[in-house]
Amino acid sequence: MVVGEVAVETDVVVIGGGPGGYAAAIRLGQLGKSVVLIEKEVLGGVCLNRGCIPSKALIHTAGEYHKLRSLNKLGIQLPIEKATFHMPSWQTWKSSVVAQLNKGVDYLCQANGVTVVKGTATFLSSDRIGVETGGDFETYKFKQAIIATGSRPFIPSFLKTDGEYMLDSTDMLALDQVPETLAIIGGGYIGMELGMAFAKLGSQVTVIEAAERILLQTAAHLSQEVLKQAKQLGMTVKVATKVEKTELADGRVSLACTSEKNGSEIITAHKTLVTIGRVPNTGELGLAQAGVEMDERGYIPVTSTGRTNKAHIYAIGDVTPGPALAHRATKQGIVAAEVIAGLPSSVDSPFVPYVIFTEPQIAGVGMTREEAELQGYKVKVAAFPYRANGRALAIDEGEGFAEVIVDQESHLLLGMHVVGADASNLIGEGVLALELAARVEDVALTMHPHPTLSEVWLEAAEAVLGHAIHIVNQSKGAVSK
Amino acid sequence: MVEFKLPDVGEGMHEGEIVKVLVHTGESVQQDQPLLEVQTDKVNAELSAPVTGIIREIFIAEGETVEVGTTLLVIDAGTEAKKEETKLPEKVVSPDKTVHFAPARADHRRSLATPYVRQLAREMKLDIELITGTGAAGRVTEEDLRQFANRLQKSAPAKFPTSAIGNEHPLEASAVAVETEAVVQPKTGIAPRVATSSQGEIERLPLKGIRKKIAEHMVKSVTIIPHVTSVDELEMDQLRALREKVKPHADKRNIKLTFLPFFIKALVIALKEFPMLNASIDDSTNEILLKRFYHIGIATDTSEGLIVPVIKDADHKSIFQLAEEIEQLARLAREGKLTMEHITGGTFTISNVGPIGGLQATPIINHPEVAIISLHKMEKRWVVREDEGVIRWMMNLSLSFDHRLIDGVTAVRFTNRIKELLEDPNLLFAEMV
Repeated sequence: MVVGEVAVETDVVVIGGGPGGYAAAIRLGQLGKSVVLIEKEVLGGVCLNRGCIPSKALIHTAGEYHKLRSLNKLGIQLPIEKATFHMPSWQTWKSSVVAQLNKGVDYLCQANGVTVVKGTATFLSSDRIGVETGGDFETYKFKQAIIATGSRPFIPSFLKTDGEYMLDSTDMLALDQVPETLAIIGGGYIGMELGMAFAKLGSQVTVIEAAERILLQTAAHLSQEVLKQAKQLGMTVKVATKVEKTELADGRVSLACTSEKNGSEIITAHKTLVTIGRVPNTGELGLAQAGVEMDERGYIPVTSTGRTNKAHIYAIGDVTPGPALAHRATKQGIVAAEVIAGLPSSVDSPFVPYVIFTEPQIAGVGMTREEAELQGYKVKVAAFPYRANGRALAIDEGEGFAEVIVDQESHLLLGMHVVGADASNLIGEGVLALELAARVEDVALTMHPHPTLSEVWLEAAEAVLGHAIHIVNQSKGAVSK
Repeated sequence: MVEFKLPDVGEGMHEGEIVKVLVHTGESVQQDQPLLEVQTDKVNAELSAPVTGIIREIFIAEGETVEVGTTLLVIDAGTEAKKEETKLPEKVVSPDKTVHFAPARADHRRSLATPYVRQLAREMKLDIELITGTGAAGRVTEEDLRQFANRLQKSAPAKFPTSAIGNEHPLEASAVAVETEAVVQPKTGIAPRVATSSQGEIERLPLKGIRKKIAEHMVKSVTIIPHVTSVDELEMDQLRALREKVKPHADKRNIKLTFLPFFIKALVIALKEFPMLNASIDDSTNEILLKRFYHIGIATDTSEGLIVPVIKDADHKSIFQLAEEIEQLARLAREGKLTMEHITGGTFTISNVGPIGGLQATPIINHPEVAIISLHKMEKRWVVREDEGVIRWMMNLSLSFDHRLIDGVTAVRFTNRIKELLEDPNLLFAEMV
């Protein structure tokens, strides 16, 4: 610490301007706290700049491009062979979307009295933090702090990325042309989302997954729908396969893989995406100086209010154990801000919805059948297929189904999952239903608008009760053993 | 990680003062090991560790007053502690477990309530886990919260003494030190703010802790109960003589015999004859509850503040037994070891201002009770007996009663009966059960 330095005093320091950090800072501003938000790069974090938003922009674009192939049957006759995808143009458009959102966050911070400081933060003690800002060094004295520094892709040393051939997800979204061949190490949601998008844009995609199946985050019968579509897109999916070694030659990456099924094989691609997990950004923060403890993996354990082992220091989002999801970070950030302001807030719900932007989309909240049974519930499960929904057929999206998991005894909804078109928006109803502790009758008795995809929930709920209109009902629903 | 919060022990308390912190950061603790001493509703309670682990952080300091639901410390659970197990405390805590926000992998057994109701429960300092829902499939509704809060309030009768029992006066209930009635400086470590107004210097002290509790009870009692106070005087000579005769026997048995046991016996006899004075009103149902048990609260002043320990089933106990129990309760009060059991369930309260002085008062009824008696200074006075002026040991008593239930005539007859029994102790013994 510089002798004689003057520390700027503030109520709260928020480190990291991602969806958790900026939400916390804005909420603190709303609650009358003086707050300094320290951001190393650009407001919005991974989510806005390198994750959720750009990836969805790419997935949307790829989907639109891919749809051109099926327009003919709708009577729209186009010379499909003349359709091309110009990735630099897409980059320009994507950047404009990101920039617009950046501006919005910046404006909201200003409007709520948040002081945004650009720089790299390091704790100096339990109540001081230093910020390096392009040659300058400023010190801030705080009463409370919120650590919201997020996570970064986990890249094992033998899969070291180089930004040109071996890529992480950020690199992938910065490409200016679609690779002819693409290998993806990791069949999780990022790998499958980007893999399917690039497949639609013309890449020959091979997904290599070490586990027995792709999309371990969700139930097997849901991921099966995605696997079917992956094959239809011409993708190769290799499960239970390990990458042992990588080699770069002639502008291509060769991946030496082994599997029980195929033994040793070499997979060659122009680009390789490594997406096998994420690690928290906690190593460079000086947490030891602040007295904040981490677990052996570098995550910061927190309570339901976001408190770390230090009473006045909170952690939210990807630096805390749990799924790296922006909406979780946002919720935690708002709760931490409110707790700091003396409100009785808490992250008191087990319902963290998940959304996977594959083809088709998968979204869910609550338990799967297996999880419910593991917890001792006797369950009733019913699914309603998209192909029996008028709207789904009218928009040529007949693949997929919606499923509800119900406690047989109380009829409480335990889980709602959907795989199919617009699942990401449909799950909103599921989240609300579970949060409100709804029974299956609550959904079944609610008038859903027609013709919409939302009717899949109505019919799935009715199916559990044995009286769905648009499918033949099983007499007692699917009762678990 | 387990967040250890100040529990609502189901007695309607809203806050407590941290009397002692028994552990330090980094210390290993065993499940059920005492962590803190908290003064809740004027009772000292030990709070124990809900899990075995290491104390990661302590958020409070001794002397601090915190609200129910406030996180007191965080325990890193699951770490084997090497410390020897200590005795079990009496309070149960509901720890707030760390939530890892796992999506579909989390334990989904939860309180069935909407986010709004869950938030409301936190605002009301209620542990929603303890509330049985009446909604569909057992959902906890907003109304359930309010009903639960009302029940808690009813189950925690206000305990507020109105006077001190000194250690110099034969009427004392205990040998506790007497403090003046000035606002006690709270032990928060916060310096009082001093400001200067146009009239002169004003010192501002936070109204909190026990003082605040008393204030709340006073306001509640006076708001609900239409008070009337009736004053009478007693001649104490015969009772004094009797006590002097009996005292050596008590001394042999190491019993400190004050006048209070005699008063309690007389009071109980009178209460049996005037059951309305041993009653309460259930405001929610508009019913009178006539209590067939006689639990007499003794307002006591201690260095920690005013408390009202209760002598249960006073009608079943002898003078000596009462004296012993009074002494025992006084000792527990002095040592700060009274439990909720000791200070709840009273049906009638006696307050003794005598050691301090004063001739009469308007004691505030200890809601939901319906009457309270204050005993005043015992002194020699000129009185007229058989048309002649004589000196007698005299003492005033003030009876405040709830005019919703008791009329003036009843109240005066009641004090007449007490007067009759105490002025002629032979009669007291004849009537005693």
